[in-house]
Amino acid sequence: MRPDTWHLFVDPAILRFFGEGLLQTLLLSVAAVGLSFAVGLLFALGRLSTRRWLRWPSTAYVESIRALPVLLLIVYFGIKGSSLLRPVFGEGFELPRFWAGVFGLALYTSAILAEIIRAGILSLPRGQTEAARALGLSHARSLRYVILPQALRLMVPAMMAQLTTIIKDTSLVATIGVAELVRQGRILYTQFFNPIEVFLFIGAIYFVICFGLSQASRRLELGRAPKAIRDVALRDLAA
Amino acid sequence: MPGGIVLEFPELYLFPSGLWITVQLAILSLLGSLVLGTLVAIFRVAPARPLRWIGGAYVEIFRNTPLLVQLFFLYFATPYIGIYLGTRETFAFNAALLGLALYHAAYVAEVVRGGLLGIDKGQIEAARSLGLSYLQALRYIQLPQTFRSVIPPLGNVSIALVKNTSLAATIGVADLLYAGEIVESRTFRAEEAFVAVALLYLVLTVPLGIGVNWLERRLQVAR
Repeated sequence: MRPDTWHLFVDPAILRFFGEGLLQTLLLSVAAVGLSFAVGLLFALGRLSTRRWLRWPSTAYVESIRALPVLLLIVYFGIKGSSLLRPVFGEGFELPRFWAGVFGLALYTSAILAEIIRAGILSLPRGQTEAARALGLSHARSLRYVILPQALRLMVPAMMAQLTTIIKDTSLVATIGVAELVRQGRILYTQFFNPIEVFLFIGAIYFVICFGLSQASRRLELGRAPKAIRDVALRDLAA
Repeated sequence: MPGGIVLEFPELYLFPSGLWITVQLAILSLLGSLVLGTLVAIFRVAPARPLRWIGGAYVEIFRNTPLLVQLFFLYFATPYIGIYLGTRETFAFNAALLGLALYHAAYVAEVVRGGLLGIDKGQIEAARSLGLSYLQALRYIQLPQTFRSVIPPLGNVSIALVKNTSLAATIGVADLLYAGEIVESRTFRAEEAFVAVALLYLVLTVPLGIGVNWLERRLQVAR
């Protein structure tokens, strides 16, 4: 039997090492949430558009991306991200692995968020749009000033719930070599041969963050969100 | 030439064999998570508080930590505790199977719990007053009635499970994603390799999704 190595986890150097990993995990989550919200909003509006050439590609995007494993997208961007972006940034461009991870995560999450946003917009009474248009607002303005502010408020709990999934999913970015929590953990345990302690410690960090967030979203009452939003939000929570 | 990979690469058997591993992993871990998740749900609605507490702790722990960390724990840490999940050949597969079942059981438990709580209390009281024991009422009155309401959400959990089987590749199970990575590393044809993998995942998940939607509509009409 090997002596346990719990004393390592109060060593400031080790804690700083994990702190750096945690910082990467949080940065990955924030970047992925921001990017996927912007892209998701576009595709939600695309799916709701009356124009077929917008609606069909948006529907195809959302439905096919949602049906793929997020790890596949992350691995793909890890391998091909650089050469995909070379036409834009020039020869010799190397996509940092952090951003490859963000793109993989955001691509997947944007499809999920598009569904939540669409459900939120659809859950508003039609009278809202009709009243805004009757008052002389253009389609874009009625969206911007009437529909989206109300719909986004309804979606907050659903998005909070999704945030825990994104934070958990950032662990997958360890597989393409970004030094987030899980990666740091693997580096550490290959030094000290202590995977039990390392993975319990990392699991506890994730637990504190995700449990805290899910409690907060419960306080925001996901249960009282319109049923349509709730259904969509709960649908992809496990993935 | 796109598609030329089919002619040039002799080891395309990796795709069907990877698909088969993914399917096996998905079906077996789904069965495991249904059984375990139903048990946890019964714990969560049990009359005894310690049982409810155990069920609640299980759900919160497994839902609020990443599946990857759970898999790494099962794969890398169990031998250090003296637990051997299989022989050298079957170890990774068993660890992935167990990890997927444990993780999704937490989501199954939430679905089944919702179904159990949705049943009118009067039904249980009637069953008990007719002389059925608590477990008999659960078995013959409550559980059968949850069936209709839990099928569509359980379908969603199983779609997520199929997608999550891809994490098995990270601990060296030769599943579909793993096949794609191997083909890519030998041919440097990321597009073809990953498009093939993506299409094979879609073949598994899209029919499931259509089936869930169909069931959802059907069960709603029937209500």
